[in-house]
Amino acid sequence: MDKFIYLILSLRWQDIIDIGLVSYILFRFYVLFRGTNAFRVLIGMTILWFFQQIAVSMGLIVTSWVVQGVVTLGAFIIIVIFRNEIRTVLLARNLKFIFWGVSSKIVTSTIETIVQSVFDMARRNCGALIVLPGREDLEDVIQKGIPWQGEMSKEMILSIFWPQNPVHDGAAIIQGDQITQVSAILPLSRRDDLPSYYGTRHRAALGLAETTDALIIAISEERGDVVAAQDSQLKVIKQKRRLEQILQQHMGTAAKKSRESIKERLMVTAAALISIIFVTAVWFSVSKGVDTLANLETPVVYMNRDPAMEIIRTSSNTVSLELEGSGALIKSIKPDQIQVKLDLKKSKVGPNSFTITRESISLPPGIILKGVTPPVVDVDLDVLIKKELPVQIDWVGKLPNRFILADATIEPQTVTIIGGKRMLEKMSAIYTEKVPLNNLEGEGTIAVNLALNPASLKIAPNSKEKVTITYATKLRNE
Amino acid sequence: MIQRILHLLLLAVILGFLFPDSATAQSGDTGASKTSVGKIILVQAVMCEDMLELVPRNPTTVFSIERRKAICFTSFDPVTEKTIVYHQWFHRDQNSAKMKLTLNPPRWSAYSSIQLRAEDIGPWRVEITDAQGHILDILRFSITE
Repeated sequence: MDKFIYLILSLRWQDIIDIGLVSYILFRFYVLFRGTNAFRVLIGMTILWFFQQIAVSMGLIVTSWVVQGVVTLGAFIIIVIFRNEIRTVLLARNLKFIFWGVSSKIVTSTIETIVQSVFDMARRNCGALIVLPGREDLEDVIQKGIPWQGEMSKEMILSIFWPQNPVHDGAAIIQGDQITQVSAILPLSRRDDLPSYYGTRHRAALGLAETTDALIIAISEERGDVVAAQDSQLKVIKQKRRLEQILQQHMGTAAKKSRESIKERLMVTAAALISIIFVTAVWFSVSKGVDTLANLETPVVYMNRDPAMEIIRTSSNTVSLELEGSGALIKSIKPDQIQVKLDLKKSKVGPNSFTITRESISLPPGIILKGVTPPVVDVDLDVLIKKELPVQIDWVGKLPNRFILADATIEPQTVTIIGGKRMLEKMSAIYTEKVPLNNLEGEGTIAVNLALNPASLKIAPNSKEKVTITYATKLRNE
Repeated sequence: MIQRILHLLLLAVILGFLFPDSATAQSGDTGASKTSVGKIILVQAVMCEDMLELVPRNPTTVFSIERRKAICFTSFDPVTEKTIVYHQWFHRDQNSAKMKLTLNPPRWSAYSSIQLRAEDIGPWRVEITDAQGHILDILRFSITE
């Protein structure tokens, strides 16, 4: 329990953002792709991945290999096979929806199709008569209907009532999501209190409403108004929402829709919660696990050195860091993510000791420092000076026994070196790189570099970096 | 240091004649020859492999350890009174030996030598100084395998 509280208290604000961001991405992924085949396959892949993790933890070598192969292959399969589906889902939505919107079911319901079709036809002044039967059988009341048995869609309804369509004159009977009959003739109302602008279509609607419990929707082609006839009454419908309510009440779907809506919200909320829980669990297992120790040899970076001073010697140029963290984080560490920096701002000429503290070391999030070896680094600093030094040849190897090196001159004889004062004061010569004797014969010249040791030494800009050796060998007097 | 000195073979011989060979060791810090400080004048300074009848033989700047020794020969003119000079041998910048040589008139020459070992390989120099420590010349040479 204490460990759990410690874990919670150790969370940084960056960690909260980290978890929140990834959870939201996962949630958006669900919202966008739910109901698609790609999503179902992805769920399967996720289950397989968990299975693989379990297999790995149990030491099932071959099983984990096989499952890992399937998961890897599956990732490609999803992208290749479902690329069209993924593209359709992404292209069909605008940016606002992709990042924020939550849709209900993608499939538009029957009621929504009817409402959209009705108001679309009303806008175009396209006359129409739609019958939605109630519990009573209409067979005896409706005459001359042409069987249709077509799945209902907005386009289908619009085409049925298109003025050039031979079946447009008459009523279309819709049962469930099917258009069962078209061009049906309804009984006319005999009422004489109807407004004069109501024509045959409205009388037919009222006539059926007087004799049955059906709901009839009539659209005037002259005025483009929508009228619902039910229970011997005609109601002018101005708003889609109102027509939707009437249809829901008639079809008994209001309560169902409400339940579905609640279910839908619960699903989305559950998906959001699962996303957060899943990501939090993954985050803790990845970043807060402390199951792995690692030793990392890291170079020490010396900062804020006085430009007039030079580092002459350091006791160590690297330190060994003992790190603790989850296996995944330890494995993912890149060398440039870890730095050991020592501030030389307050250092002085001569030997300086620096203790490597936690503040000196930058580590990636989630990695804990357990120890540093060595804990103290000695840095020897010196003031830079120039000194002219004679150049001496550093011969190596061996001449043939019968020869001696009779003469060797060097040009230039001196060079100016820049380096630490205390070091240069001790130096009486600068040596060349090693010059092999083995191949020397007779007379000749060789161009060689100077050996700058220690490496902090530099040749002054006005001095040559190479020197020329002129030599002469001769036979040894035995 | 004491052990190092034990390995040195000091030969100081004062001779009463001039030498025909010129200095060949890589020198230049003070001007190779004919350097005078006070009363004495250094007329020759040379590194050589051997001495034959008090004359430097095979002057060179490279000594193989197979040759076993390196000799620093110096001659002065005139030597009017008993004079002390020093040959200070340095391996790189580490002082290896300081040899005191006495010049008794009319003897004008003196030489010192060291025995060569494997650990002596590298660049060397010999500083020739007077009794007061004034550098008369510096001879540079290498000991090789």
